Amino acid sequence: MGQLYAVEIVYRGIFQKTLAKNISRAIVLAAHREGKPGISFGRYGDSPERNGIPAKSFAIVATDEQTLEEGMAKYEPKEVDVTICVDDTLCKGVESWAWYGLQPINRLLKPGGTLVVTSKEEPPVLIGMIHQKDVPYRLAIVKGTPSFSGLWVYKDDHTDVRLLGTLSKVLPDLFSLMSLQEVIKEEWDDPVKASSALRAYERVNPVVVPPGQGNAETPYQFTLPKWTEMPEGIAIPAIPLGHAMKDGGNGHSGGFRPERNPTFKKYTTRTMRPVVDFDLCVKCTLCWLQCPDSCFDVTPDGLYDAAMEACCGCGVCEAVCPEAGCITMVNETRFQDNASQWQAWRKDPQEYKRWVRETIADRPDRSHGFRYRGQYQEQLPEMLTIAREG
Amino acid sequence: MTTLANGGTSGLVNIQPPRLDPFKGVKKVPLEEFFTSGHRTCQGCESALVMKMMVKAAGPRTVVLGSTGCMYVANTTYYSTSWVVPWMHTQLGSSGSAALGAAAGLKAIMRKGKIKDEPINVIAFCGDGGGADMGLSAISATLTHPDYNLLILMYDNESYANTDIQLSGSTPYGAHTTFSPPGKVRRIMHHRWKKNMAGMLAAGHPTCRYIATVDMSYGMHAMNTVRKALSIGGPTFIHSLDPCPKGWDYDPILSHELGELAVKCGVWPLYEVEDGVVRLMGKTKEIASGRAKRLPVREYLLKQGRFAHFTDEDIDYFQGKIDEMWERWLVPGVIPLRKEIEADRPPA
Amino acid sequence: MAHATATKVEETKGADKTALITGSEAIAVACKLADVDVITAYPIRPYDTVMQYVAKLVANGEMDCEYIVAEAEHSQFEIVKHASAVGARVFTGSSGVGWMHAFEALTVTPALRIPMVAMVGNRALDDPGAFGVEHNDALAVRDLGWQLVWVDSAQEALDTALIAYRVAEDKRVFLPCAISCDGAFLTHSQALVRIPAQEKVRAFLPPYDRAKLLLHPDNPITVAPQANEDWVMEIRRQNHEAMERAVKVIGEAYADFERTFGRSYGNPFFEEYETADADVVLVGMGTVSTPIKVGIRELRKEGKKVGFVRVRWFRPFAADELAATLSRFRAVGVVDRDFSFGSPYRSGVLATEIRAAMYPSAKRPPVLGFIGGLGGREVTVPDVRRMTESTLLAAEGKAQPPTQWIGLRE
Repeated sequence: MGQLYAVEIVYRGIFQKTLAKNISRAIVLAAHREGKPGISFGRYGDSPERNGIPAKSFAIVATDEQTLEEGMAKYEPKEVDVTICVDDTLCKGVESWAWYGLQPINRLLKPGGTLVVTSKEEPPVLIGMIHQKDVPYRLAIVKGTPSFSGLWVYKDDHTDVRLLGTLSKVLPDLFSLMSLQEVIKEEWDDPVKASSALRAYERVNPVVVPPGQGNAETPYQFTLPKWTEMPEGIAIPAIPLGHAMKDGGNGHSGGFRPERNPTFKKYTTRTMRPVVDFDLCVKCTLCWLQCPDSCFDVTPDGLYDAAMEACCGCGVCEAVCPEAGCITMVNETRFQDNASQWQAWRKDPQEYKRWVRETIADRPDRSHGFRYRGQYQEQLPEMLTIAREG
Repeated sequence: MTTLANGGTSGLVNIQPPRLDPFKGVKKVPLEEFFTSGHRTCQGCESALVMKMMVKAAGPRTVVLGSTGCMYVANTTYYSTSWVVPWMHTQLGSSGSAALGAAAGLKAIMRKGKIKDEPINVIAFCGDGGGADMGLSAISATLTHPDYNLLILMYDNESYANTDIQLSGSTPYGAHTTFSPPGKVRRIMHHRWKKNMAGMLAAGHPTCRYIATVDMSYGMHAMNTVRKALSIGGPTFIHSLDPCPKGWDYDPILSHELGELAVKCGVWPLYEVEDGVVRLMGKTKEIASGRAKRLPVREYLLKQGRFAHFTDEDIDYFQGKIDEMWERWLVPGVIPLRKEIEADRPPA
Repeated sequence: MAHATATKVEETKGADKTALITGSEAIAVACKLADVDVITAYPIRPYDTVMQYVAKLVANGEMDCEYIVAEAEHSQFEIVKHASAVGARVFTGSSGVGWMHAFEALTVTPALRIPMVAMVGNRALDDPGAFGVEHNDALAVRDLGWQLVWVDSAQEALDTALIAYRVAEDKRVFLPCAISCDGAFLTHSQALVRIPAQEKVRAFLPPYDRAKLLLHPDNPITVAPQANEDWVMEIRRQNHEAMERAVKVIGEAYADFERTFGRSYGNPFFEEYETADADVVLVGMGTVSTPIKVGIRELRKEGKKVGFVRVRWFRPFAADELAATLSRFRAVGVVDRDFSFGSPYRSGVLATEIRAAMYPSAKRPPVLGFIGGLGGREVTVPDVRRMTESTLLAAEGKAQPPTQWIGLRE
C-alpha cells in the first residue's frame, strides 16, 4: 500500500491559467525526480475557462504506479493534502458551474492539510472569509498581490516558484527543495527564480485554524434530480421576467429588478466590486446599460444598484461612468457580505458616504490583466522585492 | 393569394413583421431584461452584452435560436439558463437554417390558422466561427428568401472562443490564438486578412433588405439596428464586433473602451445597407466625412495581449490595410473592390 | 393524450381513389393528405422524385405548405427540425451521401424529440458514386434514436407515412421516423396504389401538438442547454424510455389504421410469408422481398418447406418477438442489402442484430448471413435458390460459412 498525494490549485480562470499549469506541472516533475510518478490535469468541467470564474488544476503524485491509478480517470480527487489558492478573494468560496453551489475553498482539504494563499492580507482577514471546517487545517500566506495575466502574455513574477517552495516545506514527502531547484533550473534556468523559491521555503509560517473558526455561513448547494424528475426534451423553464422594485423606506414601487438565474449566481467570480456614491450619480444609465451581466437593479428613485449576488466584478461600470468618483472598483477582500449599497445609502446617507470615502481611500491593490505592452515589466520590481524580502 | 383545391390558401404571403420604432434616447430604453444575470461568461464579455441588448431591443414576443459557441455553452448550462424569452440550441453551422425553419414553421401554421397570427421575432445568432466559416452557406441561402421575417445576428469575437480561442476566418491578421502562436521560426502564423462578412453578404444578396454592423459600445445604435432589422420584413443580418477579454487578452475593464477604439481607429466601420443603399453610421460617418480623424491603429492593437508580439513592421502592415479600406475601396469600409490590382506584401 | 379512433369508415363522402404512382409519389401524396406544413428539398437521386412531386402539388394548389429548396442537406434537415420545434408538421428526405451530409442534423433530431418524418431513398454510399439501392445510408443512424422502417411497395410507403406521423407525433414518443424506400424499385417504379379519402386521414391523424416543448413566446423554455457529465446519462435514459413506449404506440397505430382504412398489415414489426410449416426461412428488408417470394413459391413447388420474414421496423427492433419467431425454424438465412466492414463474422447489420436478438433464446438455430444486392444489383431467383439451399444445408447440420456474398463475380 503506497501513498497518494493530491495538490489542488484553485485559481481565477484565464487570468491565472498559465500560473496554475506551471505549478501543477512542476509538482509532478519535481516528484518524478524522486522516483514518484504523477499526473497533472485541469478539472475538465471548468473548461472552457472564463475570465475570473474559479477553476481548479490538480497534481496527483504517488509512491508507485499502482497507487497512482487510484487517483486517475477522475475529474477531481476526493481530498487533497494541500490547496494552493492563487487569489485571496477565492477564500470566500468557489462557484465554478451551475448546480455546483458555493463550495468552500477548504472543502477538499484533509484534516491537518494546508491552505496556501497568495495575499497581502493578514491571516485574520482571510480566516474571516474562509468557511468553517469541522476539522483543523493550516493556513500559510505567501505575501504578494495575486498574480494576474492572461492567455497570451504571462507575468512572470515568481509567484509560481514561491508557491512551489512553500509547498516543499509544508509537504516535504511530496518533493524536496533540492528536487524543486533542479526542476526550476531545467524549466526556467533562472537563478533569481531559484532564489525566490528558496526564500519562500524559508519563510513559511503556517497558522493552525481550529475547527469552527471562520465564516459561519452555510454555503448554498443543490441536489441533482433523477431522470424521472427532469422534464423531457432537454427543455427547462426559462427565467421569469423580473418586476418593479419596492422602496422599503417610502413604499414606492418603480424601477426594475430582473429575476436572475438561481443556480449560478456568479458573485464568486469577482475580485473587486463597484462601490457606488449615489450622491454623485447623474442617472446617465450607462452602468446599467453596459453591464454584460445585467447586475444593476433600477431603483424606484431611478438610481442603479449593483446586485451583489450577480456582480462578477468586471469593472466596465467604473469605466463607462462619466462622473469621477461615482463608481470605484474596490478589492473584494474589503467586504463581508452581499448587502445592497442602495439600501444602506437610503437608510443613512451620511454614514454611507463616510463608508464610501473610507473604502475607496483604503482600497488594496489589485491586478486584473493586460492593459498595455510593458505593463507587466513595470509591475515586476515590486513583486520581486517582496519575493526577496518578504 | 390563391385558394387551394382543399379550401386552404397558398401563394406568396407575408406575415407582417412587428412595428419596432427606434428607442429615442437612453431613458426610453425598456427596463425589462429578456436575457438576465447568471451566465458563465467571462468578466467583461461583450458578446453577453450583445445578447442582452439584442433581446432588450426585440422585446418579449421573440424566439431565439442559438448556435454552438460561447453564447450557447456559457449562457445555458443544463439544468440552468439565463434566458427569459424562449431559446433553443442549434448546430454550429445552422444559424441560417434554424432561422429559416423557425420562421417558415411559424408562417405555415399561422397561415393555416393553427396558431394565432401575430408578429413573432425570430432571431438566430452565431459566432464568427459558426457564421462566417461553417455556416456561411446556410446564412447565404436564408438571405435569398424574401418571404420570411427573421434576423441572423453574428457576434464576432474574432476567434472560436468557446473552444479556448482558435483562429477563424474572422481573426485579424497576426493575432495570437492557440492555432497561431508566435514561434521562434514563424512569428506570424496567421497571415490571412479578416473576411469582410457584412459587405460580402450585402453585395451578394440583392433582395435582402437589411444588413448592418454594430458595436455594443454604441449601445443605442446597436439596439435600434436590431429593431430596424426585425421590423423591415424579410431576412436580415447584423454583424457585431465584440471585444473579448479572454481571446484578446486584456483587463476586462477595458471592454467598452476597446469597442470604441475599434470604431475610432477605423478597424470596425459602422454602417447599414437598406434596400441596397449604404449608410455610414455614428462615429464612422464622422470619420468618413472628415469631421473626426481616424486614430492610429496602434492605439487599439497594443492594448491587447494577442498583438503583444507585433513588431513595428506588423503594425505598419495592419495600418496599411486599414488605410486601404478607407482610401482605396470602391465603397470605403464596405466593398473592397478596386480599379487597379496591386501586389499585397505582408511582413514575415 | 389525444389520439383519434375512427369508429366507422365513411363510404359515401370522399371515397378512396386508385392511382398509378411511384413509391416516392405515394409518400408525397401522404404528405398532402397529412397536411404537412413545411417541406425542405434538395436534389439527390433517387429520393428526390418525392420532392419533384411535392413541387407540382404546391404549384398546382393541391397542397399548402412552405416548400423550401435548401442549399445543402445539412441545412435541409436543420430547417425542418426547427420548423417542427415551433409546431409545424414537417417532411424531408435524402439518399446516400446526401443523408450523410445531414448527419449532424440527424444526430440531434431525435435527441431533441423532434417528430420529423423523413424519406430515405436508399442508395449506395459513395465512393464509388452509385445510385442503386443499398441500406447503409439509413442504417447509419440506428444508434441515435430514429425510428427506422422499411417498406416494399408503393402502397406500403403511403400507408407507413401516415402511420409514421401518427406514431412520431404521439406525445409518448416524439421521436423522428425515417421511412426507407429502395432506390429505383420503389422510388422510380409506378404501381397501383389506393389513395385513402382525406376525411379518413383526418380521422386517423390528430393535429401535431408539441405541448410543453413548443417554442413560442407563450411557452418560455430553454431547449437544450449545454450539459456536463452530471446530466447526460439521465437525458439519454429519458429518450430510451420514449423509444420503449414507441413499441406500444406502433401497435395501437396499426390497429387503428386497419379500423380506419380497412387495410391490415398484421404484425406491424415484421411480415411472415409461408412460415407456418417452414423448415428454414430467409429474412430481409425492403424490395428484396419480391424475388425472395417468387423463389420461395418455386422451391415450395419442389417440396422444400421454406419461408420468408420481412422486417419492417428496424428501430425499435422487436427482438423478443423476432427471436421467438425465428427460433421455430431449423436455420435462418439473413439477407443484408448492406455491409458492415470489420464486423463480427464480417456480416451485414441485420444479421448481426438478429444474432444478438437470438443469443438468449433457448433454441438457437444457425443464422447465416448473405450479402446481396449491393449498389442496386438485382437479387435474382437463382440467388434466392442459392441462399435457401445453403440455409437448408445448415439446417441439416452441415456447417456453412457465417457470411456469404451472393451474386458476386468471383
